[in-house]
Amino acid sequence: MTTSPRRPVPARARVAAVARKELLDTLRDRRTLLVTLLPAVVAGPLVLMLMFTVIAGQIDRARELKLPAVGQAHAPALIAFLERQQVTLIAAPSDYEAKVRSGELDVVLVVDADFESDVAAGKAGKVQLVYDRSRDRAQPSIREAEALLRAYNRQWGSQRLLLRGIAPTVGNPLAVDAIDLATPQQSGAFLLFFLAYYGLFAAVMGGMAIALDVTAGERERQSLEPLLMTPARPLELVLGKWLAVATFNAMIVIVTLTGYYVTLRFAPLPAVGVPFLFSVRELAWFLVVLLPLVALLPTVMLFMGARSRTYKEAQASASLVIFVVSIIPVVQLVQQRKDPDWIVWIPVSGQFSLLGQVLRGEGVPLAQLAASFAVPVALAAGMLLLVTRLLSRESILAGK
Amino acid sequence: MIRVDAITKSFGRQGEVHAVRDVSFTAPDGQITGLLGPNGAGKTTLLRMLSTLIVPDGGGASVAGLDVVRDRYAVREAIGVLSDARGLYPRLTARENIRYYGSLHGLSGVELETRAAQLIHTLGLDALADRRTQGFSQGEKMKVAIARALVHDPETILLDEPTNGLDIMSVRALRDQLRQLRGEGRCLLFSSHVMQEVAALCDRIVILGRGRVIAMGSATELIAQSGAATLEDAFVSLLGSGEGLAA
Repeated sequence: MTTSPRRPVPARARVAAVARKELLDTLRDRRTLLVTLLPAVVAGPLVLMLMFTVIAGQIDRARELKLPAVGQAHAPALIAFLERQQVTLIAAPSDYEAKVRSGELDVVLVVDADFESDVAAGKAGKVQLVYDRSRDRAQPSIREAEALLRAYNRQWGSQRLLLRGIAPTVGNPLAVDAIDLATPQQSGAFLLFFLAYYGLFAAVMGGMAIALDVTAGERERQSLEPLLMTPARPLELVLGKWLAVATFNAMIVIVTLTGYYVTLRFAPLPAVGVPFLFSVRELAWFLVVLLPLVALLPTVMLFMGARSRTYKEAQASASLVIFVVSIIPVVQLVQQRKDPDWIVWIPVSGQFSLLGQVLRGEGVPLAQLAASFAVPVALAAGMLLLVTRLLSRESILAGK
Repeated sequence: MIRVDAITKSFGRQGEVHAVRDVSFTAPDGQITGLLGPNGAGKTTLLRMLSTLIVPDGGGASVAGLDVVRDRYAVREAIGVLSDARGLYPRLTARENIRYYGSLHGLSGVELETRAAQLIHTLGLDALADRRTQGFSQGEKMKVAIARALVHDPETILLDEPTNGLDIMSVRALRDQLRQLRGEGRCLLFSSHVMQEVAALCDRIVILGRGRVIAMGSATELIAQSGAATLEDAFVSLLGSGEGLAA
């Protein structure tokens, strides 16, 4: 007999062996890596660029109004006023109505041929704005053109009153000073939601493929039974697998957030006045806030995987979890209410709320952070015990 | 040494499926004991109880003096099992597959590397050792699975239908391997539904049918006991005509 008495093996050595093997196995799986890592690396910056460009385009349209006009020669004073307001006037094509209808032109100014004679006769000079109100894209230009014409009207009227020795306020008793809060703050708010949401999503999705592979995949490959015959206790196997999945999940979150950071910091994004910061400080806070989910979601995925016989079956139930989890922040956003204080206790909702706080630069009090850790940590521990129980059941061997 | 004493296991909601009923036998060291029986005779269930994967409803068993229920983890350290399910990790190399099991058995460092290299060499896997097992043939996969089961140098070895799906060359190589392990004084328990397999290899044969022990002894003893001319006839006559036999 060649067997020599062997010293007892610490449980942590076996846990580490399992974690190491699962990570190695995952890093060798090129297809899963591609599917999980690629969105993390590419999608974030890509979508950010796109959103910035769209928002900037809307702002530019309003700011740099290009106004095709008909009959410019009939109202030289108006044209001069518009040019002073940075409007570029161009001659309108003869088929301008058709072009407005087709969306090629946003808005066209038509000066009436009798403008000068009407004004000289003491009548109101007629101008027309031709536009299609149903076109969203044209709205900023339309609003801008209308506002400019009103402004000219007011200025001209005031000058006439002044000539007659009457204060302009007599004719304009109401001083309307419009302060538009919609842009760019609101588009900024949407970017803010998007950034928080995508970070959250990375924490939810990042570990799915590997979690299902180390459970349902292991069963499908027929390698679970021999594994359960080794001296490794079910709890050690589960802890090792969880460590591997959580590590991978954390990696995906870090890659995603770094992608955002690099894009916001170095990419030539158009200036749209983003009302939040995303520096290394915010990046670090994001990681801290997302930590409970990075730990919790893998346990849920491991559970889904352990109770399924095949990878495919596991994927179906895991997709359901992801759907439910990813819809929560959207509900929060649509409600448009300030989150109540107790929200930090709710997994996912709490994290989403805290991410918003980080972005708005409000800071995260330690008590809130602790509250947001409590439930996910307890749930994760419970899930790990559940998975261990599943692996200890004799029926795990049945149904190959 | 394996001792099985009146072991019983049932499945189903009310335990209505009696997979193993009151089975007793011993498998001594330095011998290959064959568990021969048709499909569904209870061979896999019996081996799973001996490898502590499932708990018997009644009776008991010990492996190398250790109780399969009370000392289950000590039993696992003492046995090497080639189970019915023998999936490898396709993205790991042969050596990494073997190393993983070694580390779960508490081997590490030079000891683990030496042991893995030694098994790779004896099983003739040298040329394949550092390739991923993805494209391995059945026979090559089997060799890796055996190396994985033997990595911790177990004194008791359980094999569940090891020749399934192997070509004749691989079967011969496996037989040589098992004979060598027997020569080292180990206790081998080998299950099969293929009678020729068992006849060619085993010193003692335990015939199982419908979860019970039908007969046991050496091939010659079984032939004598049944009064038949060959082991095949002995097998069929001992099982009775009701049992289907996929030999």
